Amino acid sequence: MYDIATDHASALTAALLLLLFVVAFVGGLRFLSARRVAWAVRVTHVYEAAPSITKLAAALMLLSGGIHLALVPGHEGITGVLFVIDGLGFIVFAIAAFLTTWWRRPAVLWLAATILAYIVWVIAGWETPDQIGIACKLIELVALGLLMRLANPTRRTWPRRLWRATSFPLMACVTTLGIWVGGLAHPDALHAHAGALLQPVAAVATPEEQRAAAKLLADTRASIARYQDPAAAIDAGFKPSPVSNADPLRHFVNSANANAVLDPKRPQAVVYAQTTHGLQLIGAMYQMKRAGQWGPDPGGPLTQWHQHEGICFSPFGFEFSFETPFWTCPVGSTSITTPPMLHVWIIDNGKNGPFAADLDKAVQRQLTGRP
Amino acid sequence: MNHTGSVDNSASEIASVFVVVQASFSLVAGLSALPFAIVEPGFRVLGATTILMAAAIFWLARNLRRERRWAWRWLVTLEILSLAMTALLALLPIGSIRGPVPLLVNLVIPLAVLVLLAGAKSNARRAA
Repeated sequence: MYDIATDHASALTAALLLLLFVVAFVGGLRFLSARRVAWAVRVTHVYEAAPSITKLAAALMLLSGGIHLALVPGHEGITGVLFVIDGLGFIVFAIAAFLTTWWRRPAVLWLAATILAYIVWVIAGWETPDQIGIACKLIELVALGLLMRLANPTRRTWPRRLWRATSFPLMACVTTLGIWVGGLAHPDALHAHAGALLQPVAAVATPEEQRAAAKLLADTRASIARYQDPAAAIDAGFKPSPVSNADPLRHFVNSANANAVLDPKRPQAVVYAQTTHGLQLIGAMYQMKRAGQWGPDPGGPLTQWHQHEGICFSPFGFEFSFETPFWTCPVGSTSITTPPMLHVWIIDNGKNGPFAADLDKAVQRQLTGRP
Repeated sequence: MNHTGSVDNSASEIASVFVVVQASFSLVAGLSALPFAIVEPGFRVLGATTILMAAAIFWLARNLRRERRWAWRWLVTLEILSLAMTALLALLPIGSIRGPVPLLVNLVIPLAVLVLLAGAKSNARRAA
């Protein structure tokens, strides 16, 4: 669900280079200091005198500043300007941490404002949350947590203690929920719905592609007609997926067909709908062997594969939920990404069409009586 | 009161911040399971367990700052378990670690906590 945006990839390189630069800079300072270079001795002394927590917080702010500045070329208008201000601000605070005594409070405000601004941008749809943006918020959250630990409370009243104990976890929760809401409210064009990534394809199908798609549909329909009765599918080696309260569709998977590639005679699964009068055959599912390995799409944009990602899968009861933007799942479940799959619906799938990732909601409701 | 002696406060403080971050993410993961629990009964149990676990981790972070030896032991155990699970899942072809965010959350932070906890203990030994 959260990829690395093309125009954000440079920030990853910038972050790694910045880390290497900081390590080399500190090493160089120590080298010069050992050779009694006056200014290096002074700077090293200031650096060494700072607590570890300050050093780490400064390093994280420097990292966030570097990432923001590296992202400027891909962001125009007000966002680009804010990235410049933000990046420079973080660098100033990272340096001020070693030279001043007043830096902590403004840095806390700067970090909190940056995180909240990102949430606003994401929810408003002005920025698509991707892994670089989320990783940057993680870095800022840790820096914020470190700065909050540096506070030396003079008044230990109950409200203040409660605020100190809950403010940081609350900020982490709000950040996670904010990114999540933004990502779900404004999915990019390649996400059919939360958790399904579509294969990149051309916008319009050629006449050849239209004919190939129609042939795939006809061949699939003819091939799986023999499995109208689920017992016939089981006899042929298809194993039914466990019954799920959440999903009225059941996939019968045949592992013997795992190596076949878009072969209508050997689909990886046949799909049934749980209707009031029993299981009804509604389609087939073709699947590749590995995640990220898109299959052949003879119909171009008409036969667009999709893979499910950002899913928390629990083997207890074969259940699913969505993972958080920080890639966490409930205990007892794990994040999974499925290999790409292509559904071929042999029933009329309404406006979604015969190769859609999902069964049309209206069709599903009509078939199963459930949304 | 079971103290670790003169533990390096800086290492414990930094480790506790990382642990609070982990606990916060667990809390959200637990809360996020609750809407799914309406139709997925198993996620009611998993969501509630995750929220309870997040509360326990917050408690451990608090007691790590207070230099409790039992909190240190529990956290080392939990982080090793977490890293072992991450390594195991990374070996399976299920795409559980893809990109910088899962790498930071599931690998770098637990490793950093373990290194900091080890550093805190060795400093305590030196001081004793």
